[in-house]
Amino acid sequence: MATLPDGTPLPGKLFVVEGIDGSGKSTQLDLLYKWLISSGYCVAFSEWNSSPLVRQTTKRGKKKHLLTPTTFCLIHAADFAHRHQQQIIPALKAGAIVLADRYIYTAFARDVARGVNPQWVREVYSFAVTPTVALYFRVPLEESLRRIMSGRPKLKYYEAGLDLGLSDDPYESYRIFQGRILREYERIVQEFNLSVIDASLPLVTQQEIVRNIIRPHLEGALRAEPNPWRNVLTAEGLSGRYLNSLTHEGENP
Amino acid sequence: MTEVQFYGYGLAGVHDTHLPGKLIVLEGPDGVGRSTQIALLREWLEASGYAVFSSGLRRSELASVGIEEAKKGHTLGNLTMALFYAVDFADRLEREIIPALRAGFVVLTDRYMYSLIARAIVRGVDEKWIRSLMGFALVPDAIFYLKSDVEHLIPRVLGSRGFDYWESGMDFLGNPDYYESFIDYQTRMLSVFAALSKEYGFIEIDANQSIRQVFVSLREHIAEIVRELKPTQIEALLPQASDPPEPKTTT
Repeated sequence: MATLPDGTPLPGKLFVVEGIDGSGKSTQLDLLYKWLISSGYCVAFSEWNSSPLVRQTTKRGKKKHLLTPTTFCLIHAADFAHRHQQQIIPALKAGAIVLADRYIYTAFARDVARGVNPQWVREVYSFAVTPTVALYFRVPLEESLRRIMSGRPKLKYYEAGLDLGLSDDPYESYRIFQGRILREYERIVQEFNLSVIDASLPLVTQQEIVRNIIRPHLEGALRAEPNPWRNVLTAEGLSGRYLNSLTHEGENP
Repeated sequence: MTEVQFYGYGLAGVHDTHLPGKLIVLEGPDGVGRSTQIALLREWLEASGYAVFSSGLRRSELASVGIEEAKKGHTLGNLTMALFYAVDFADRLEREIIPALRAGFVVLTDRYMYSLIARAIVRGVDEKWIRSLMGFALVPDAIFYLKSDVEHLIPRVLGSRGFDYWESGMDFLGNPDYYESFIDYQTRMLSVFAALSKEYGFIEIDANQSIRQVFVSLREHIAEIVRELKPTQIEALLPQASDPPEPKTTT
């Protein structure tokens, strides 16, 4: 069950993944998604900071370095509220499975690492549905940095926490900022009882653990026949040439 | 502003305990004439020697364009709307209003968090949530509420821009009739404002009076508030006759 803040249960299931950059959570969520789809479930997907409604504003703020810890927090909350009202809640009411790549705990970790009042940010997000399961991918800081830095990527201003003036060097700033986020996550794990997964284990092992945790919660979830047109193709002797391009456009992540 | 006070948890990174300027808010329903009064007050204050900064909703560098775009699509949910306006408000507060107050300006703002709270409440948002959200707002030096009623607002709105989609609550009332919706929405807003007026200590000004009468009563109140910005003993601050003359600079 996923539950509304007032305690009302929703028929759908909400599974979320959390962890710092380089914890491998998105890879694990993708594998979980593929398993659920192939098992015949109806799955919706929602990604942090992805709503088109505030995209331009976020882009503008990041490009011109206009964002403060407070506006950074609020803009992500606006993005979340939009996805919550338009994607997450409707899918859960319909009984579907919703997978969220990052959820409110990301805000609690990042915004508090930026100096925002922890109680305030929790109240800002108090309208959010409580997830059925929240998985936290715990990884040592050095390990995550090694994964992220192996290609020496160009770190973005806010991503590196350069707005906080921790260091002029983006890599050093990123290291300090990620360390702060990691400490906040550890607090959150306790406070919200997140299911911790050791993200330094081999990928396949982690996925086995994930599936074992998720499996007991799947009962009653809405099912959807994958690619229902397949039977028509077989029965009518068609190749599905044009359907292929259609499914490509509407492809899920 | 003698002492910095926030309505809730305050703003991350803002540690001022004292801001020398004055923060003056004008609130009131759509079409009541807030911007006319602000224009008049600004001119009078500047002529009297005060530095004035004026601000209003949806004028932030960060979020004004984004909110405009989002409103065009008519897909803005009640929480998203509240949060998007909070982005705009926080941006103006942190990057314009507080710096202006720090510099000793009189800040006149056309609406403040009270309008955002009222709009959220009539749209069914949890009252505790919206108040907590707005907890980063500074407590102003004075809040003037231009009080009117729907009968007086209708001719003013029709005489200027006509009924607006959002000012008529078309996004949530479910009535396709603009006129009825406008009356319904504005009536609800006025009743929420009446409650907020008590809660936050608004100074109520009867806006059914003439523009001149409204201006005069606002001016009287504001003159009191800004008076302390003027030095009491100007003589002591004037350059003394015995002072050596300033050296001439050549460029």
